Amino acid sequence: MGVALVLAFPTMAPNAYILSAGIVVASYACTATAWNFMGGFTGYVSLGHAAFFGLGAYGTGILIRDLGLPSFVAWLLAGAIVLVITIPLGIAALRVRGASFVIVSISFVLILLLVFQAWGSFTGGSDGLVVPRPFPDLLRPEHHRVFFYLFAALLAVMLLVWWAIDRSRFGTGLKAVREDEDKAQALGVPTRNYKLVAYVVSATFTGLAGGMYALWFGDLDPIFQFSIMLGSYMVLMALFGGVRHLFGPLLGALVVGTGLEYFKLEFGDTQFHLVATAILLGVVVLFMPDGIIPAVQSLVRRFGPQDSSIREMTAAELLEHNRAVAAGGATAEGTTAVGHLERRGGATPTEGQGEDVGPRRGGPGGSSRGTSERMEDAAPRPRTGPEEER
Amino acid sequence: MTVSLLFQSLMLGVLLGGLYALLAAGLTLYFGVMRVVMIAHSAFLILAAYLAWYFNQQTGMDPLLSLVVTVPLFFAVGVGMQRLLITRLRPATLTMMSVLLTFAVALFIEGMIGFVWSGTQRRIQLPYSGASVEFFGARIAVVKLVAFALAALSLALLYVLMKHSRFGQALRATIQHREAAQLVGIKTDRVAGFGFGLGLATAAIGGTALSLDATIYPSLHWHWIGPLMAIIVVGGLGSIPGAAIAALVLGVGQSLLQVPLGTTWAQTIFYVALFATLMLRPQGFFGGRLAQRF
Repeated sequence: MGVALVLAFPTMAPNAYILSAGIVVASYACTATAWNFMGGFTGYVSLGHAAFFGLGAYGTGILIRDLGLPSFVAWLLAGAIVLVITIPLGIAALRVRGASFVIVSISFVLILLLVFQAWGSFTGGSDGLVVPRPFPDLLRPEHHRVFFYLFAALLAVMLLVWWAIDRSRFGTGLKAVREDEDKAQALGVPTRNYKLVAYVVSATFTGLAGGMYALWFGDLDPIFQFSIMLGSYMVLMALFGGVRHLFGPLLGALVVGTGLEYFKLEFGDTQFHLVATAILLGVVVLFMPDGIIPAVQSLVRRFGPQDSSIREMTAAELLEHNRAVAAGGATAEGTTAVGHLERRGGATPTEGQGEDVGPRRGGPGGSSRGTSERMEDAAPRPRTGPEEER
Repeated sequence: MTVSLLFQSLMLGVLLGGLYALLAAGLTLYFGVMRVVMIAHSAFLILAAYLAWYFNQQTGMDPLLSLVVTVPLFFAVGVGMQRLLITRLRPATLTMMSVLLTFAVALFIEGMIGFVWSGTQRRIQLPYSGASVEFFGARIAVVKLVAFALAALSLALLYVLMKHSRFGQALRATIQHREAAQLVGIKTDRVAGFGFGLGLATAAIGGTALSLDATIYPSLHWHWIGPLMAIIVVGGLGSIPGAAIAALVLGVGQSLLQVPLGTTWAQTIFYVALFATLMLRPQGFFGGRLAQRF
C-alpha cells in the first residue's frame, strides 16, 4: 500500500509546489536511510554526512561542466568518487569512537565548506554552480515528476540493501559493534573492516542522493550543500523514526521533512524554524531516543487490545516452555536472527535489549505478550551469562 | 615577509590563542565531569557576546561590566542544564546522545538570537576601539589586549581553583574516577553540576571578550565550534593543560598562516591538526587516560 501511495503521489499532488516539496521529502528520506547504514547498524552518530551529500552534488555538477559527461554517467561516477574518497576518511575517522567520532564527522563538513567557498575558480564558490538539467525539453511539472520517481527508485534500492544487510552475518556483526564493540572484537568480529564497509556504503548512498539532488535542483551553493543543518536533519529523521527499523528513517523523513517544509513556509523569514527544529530534536533525544516505531509499539502493547488475554501463560507453563527452549535452544538457536546475534556478538545487548530483540524474535517466544513479557524477556539472558564471563 | 610582520602575527596568534585556551578549558571541563561533548559551548559564547552588546546598547556602559550579570547567570544555566537535561539521558548512550542534545541547544540559541535581535551583524563601538599600542614594533589593538588579559586572568583563576581549593580537588577527583570520588564522600552529582556551570561561565567570559573586537551574528558559533573541537581532540579529551597548549600552538599557527594563505585557508590548520592527531595519536598529544576510550 505504501508503494502504491508513493507511486500515486505525483498524480495526486495538486500543484507544482506540493510536488517539489514531495521531492525534497523524498531526498530527505534517501539521505536519512543512507545515514542509517552507519548510524543504525553500528550506533556511530555522524553529524557530518552532509559532507558526502555535498561531494556527490558537486562531483556530479563539476563532471558535467568540465568533462561534458551525460548527466547520469556523471552521477554514477560522482558516487564512485565519493566511495573512493570515503575510504581514507573512514580509516581516519574510525580510529576513534563516540564523542571524538562525532567531532571528526562535524569537522568534515566544516572543512569542506571552507574549501568549497575558498576555491571559487573550481567550485564556483559562493556564486554557486549551475548544473545543466538532464532532460532539457521537459516542462517543470514533468521534470519534478520524473525526479520524484528517480528518488523513489534510489530509496527502494537503499531499503533493499539495508534489508539484506540486516539479515546477513555482516549486519549481525555491525549490530554487535553497536551493542559492545570491545566484546564483539574479542569474539572475532573484524570490527574495523565492518565499520569501514558500513561507513563507505552509507557515504556512497548519501553521495548518490546528493548527486540526484544536484541534477534535480540545478543550482548548488556551498552554504546549503555543506551545511551542518542538513547533517543534523538526517540524524533527527533517523532517530525520530527509529534507527533499528528498516522504515524508521523513511517514516522520520515523512514526518520531520514535512514539518521542516512547513516550518520554512511559516517562519521562513525569521530564524524561528531553527528553534522548531531544535525543540523537535531535543524532545526526540530526551523522551524517545529509540524512535517512534518502538515508542508506538510499546504504547500499543500497553493500551491496545491485549492479545495477552487469550495467549497468556501461567507461570508453570512458562517455566516448562523455557525449559523446552533451553533444551532445544542449543541446536535450534543458530537458525533465528537472535540466536545468530548471540552466537556472533557473544553478549546480546544489555541496554535496550527488549526493543531490539522483541519485535523480531521469530522463534519460540514471539507470540507471548503482555504480562508474561517481562518474564519471557528474562529467560534468554541466563544463556548469555556464561558467555560473557568467558 | 618581514620580521616585524612575522612578530606582529605571532603576537596576534598568542592573543587569539589565549581566548581559545579559555574556551577549550570550558569544553574540557564538561567532558571531564560528564563525558559530554558540548556543541552548544560556542553558541553560549555568542549569546554572551550578544548580551554584552545589548548591555552596552541599552546602558552605554562598558560591555565588560555585563560580566557581573552574565557569569553568575551562565553558571546557573550550566548547573540547570546538567541537572535537568544531561542527567536524564541513558548512561549507556550518554556520549552520543548528549552531542545531539547540546546540538539542539545550540540551534535553539542560534534561532532565538536571530528571532530576538534579528540576523543583522552587530558590533560594539567603544571609545578605545581604534586605539592600539606599539610593542617591539608590532601594533596591537587595545581591545585584543583587554580580551587576552581577561582570558588569561580567568584561566589563572580556574587553575588556582582547580589546584588549591577543596572544591577543585573534589572536581578533579570526580573527573579522574567518579566511583572512587563517591567512596571518599564527594557528592559527585553536585560537583558535576558545578563543573558544568564553571564551563559555561568560561563561555560567558569568552563571549564578552569576543564582543569587544568582533562583529557578531547568530550563526557565528559554527566558526568557533570546529576549531575548539579540534583543539580538545589534539590536546587529548579531558586534559585542561593539553587543551591550553594545543590552543596556543594552533592559534599561533593560524595567525602565522594567515599571512601567506589568507584567512579562509588558514582556518584549515585546525582540521589538518585534527586529522594528523587521529592518524598518529588518536588519544591526543597531551591526553591522559581518559582520551583512550572516547
